[in-house]
Amino acid sequence: MSKATQFHSIKIDKKKCIGCVICMKACPQKAIRIGKDKKAKIDRRTCIDCGECLRVCPYNAVIPITTKTSDLDKFKYKVALPSPVLYSQFGQHVMPNEILSVLKEIGFDYTCDETVMCEMTSRVIEKYLDEHKSKGPVISSVCPVVVRLIQGLFPSLCELILPIEPPREMAARNLREEISRREKIPKSEIGIFHITPCAAKMVSINYPESMEKSYLNGAISIRSIYNTMMMKLKKSKPLQMFQTQNISGIGIGWALPGGEIRDIKHHSVSVSGVMDTIKILKDVEAGKLKNIRYLECLICPDGCVGGPLTVENRFVAKSNILMLIWMYGGKKCVSDYTAERLYKEGLFSFKREVKPRPFPPLDKNRTKALQKLKLKEEIIKQLPGFDCGVCGAPDCKTLADDIARNKAKLTDCLFFKEGACSPIQKEGKL
Amino acid sequence: MKPDIIFKQEFKIKGGDFINGGDASCKIGNILKEVGIDPDIILRITVAAYEAEMNAVIYALKGTMVFSIGTDKITLKIEDEGKGIKDIELAMQEGYSTATQEIREMGFGAGMGLPNIKKNADIFNISSKVGKGTHLEIIFYLNNKNV
Repeated sequence: MSKATQFHSIKIDKKKCIGCVICMKACPQKAIRIGKDKKAKIDRRTCIDCGECLRVCPYNAVIPITTKTSDLDKFKYKVALPSPVLYSQFGQHVMPNEILSVLKEIGFDYTCDETVMCEMTSRVIEKYLDEHKSKGPVISSVCPVVVRLIQGLFPSLCELILPIEPPREMAARNLREEISRREKIPKSEIGIFHITPCAAKMVSINYPESMEKSYLNGAISIRSIYNTMMMKLKKSKPLQMFQTQNISGIGIGWALPGGEIRDIKHHSVSVSGVMDTIKILKDVEAGKLKNIRYLECLICPDGCVGGPLTVENRFVAKSNILMLIWMYGGKKCVSDYTAERLYKEGLFSFKREVKPRPFPPLDKNRTKALQKLKLKEEIIKQLPGFDCGVCGAPDCKTLADDIARNKAKLTDCLFFKEGACSPIQKEGKL
Repeated sequence: MKPDIIFKQEFKIKGGDFINGGDASCKIGNILKEVGIDPDIILRITVAAYEAEMNAVIYALKGTMVFSIGTDKITLKIEDEGKGIKDIELAMQEGYSTATQEIREMGFGAGMGLPNIKKNADIFNISSKVGKGTHLEIIFYLNNKNV
């Protein structure tokens, strides 16, 4: 098992977990089991960090692992690079530049807007699509969960992943250069932190798939700084503005599904939500979507505003973003010439290709795997099909899979033990 | 059953059922992943299976797809009962299609189905009787490093 599949941005708090089946049932990857100790356990190899368990747990027992604000002090110069989603969290009357100023007030030395870089990336995506006419559909690499999902569940689609770094990485790269030059501090003493709506960014920062080392130093969840920011916002009106940055209306759209493609002339489709993403990737695998040039997949429902670490209701947040898009309009902040030049220089390109990392098959040996597949089908017939979850697996099919992999026993099934799965009952059910 | 077939599954295909059309090839893809077949081969098989399945859905009344995994190869046999193909050589040409306007409006019938299957397969056999139906045999060889 490689380090990258071992690291996850989610863990279970065993003290709080009561061993109910809610997160296990919600997991789209069926990566959660309830162990004999009556605690949820995440399978490191199949978890994709989508955060569905985090959303549903009623006991706050699923904990996101993001950078703690106390970790910031390791760096001499601290920079915040907020996701455009942050602009949607404080209502319609707080403007992006005010939010950037508040970030500075709560302890960052510098804050930088990401939207201009988002717009730039849209331009660069277009250039890439112009040059790769026969390839399709190219799949967005912005959401780290989607990248992991493709590597694991759709390994043959890895070559369709857009080999362009997401705006958060490119913005961090530029910032580090710029600040180091301006403030005359070594690059290693500058800490650049993404203010994130999801924990999955921690995976792409700690173990990036497309380069040796991420340009970011960490990711701080919107939730963890929301209260402090809100207090400042309430206290100090009118706000003291430290800086006024150029905000891109096109870039703000990146917080919503369709943001990446809004300004792209090629035939593009946008999908959000984990089940819909899996569904459309299946279609891509079958070759159904050859006529589409670009596919934007975002694992969270309604895109990044629906991230599990946001505070504002996602529908309200969506409306706030739409309001900002309307305000800033279609004003272009990026010249086509610059985008063309940066694309040609290859600054945005992946340093290495994203490699398939298929989820483990039933057995490494193909003949044995086939035997286990048959065994699994035999077991499914013997199970009641109630999908109750009492055995510790989310459904009967998954229990059969676990048994075939020697991870569980047939007697784990309560109904099987009681003899309730007799053939007669089985027929009655059918 | 021949001894070299380790796993076999049959799928029914219903002609004109565009809602469930594609399910069989999707299930085949899932099985291949569970067994740990090479991703590149999976892609070729799923694309070919989907094209073959949709051909039966579009042009035939009903059909079956038999999927079998052997020690060194994977075989797909698609047999349908339908109008059959008059001129196979013509049907194998890219862009040639007898699909109706309605089918084309649904995004099918671009005349790429059979050529696409051939392109992805290692061995491709086709036979057809007009008024009876079409039989396809598609074979993919496996590299034997994991056996």
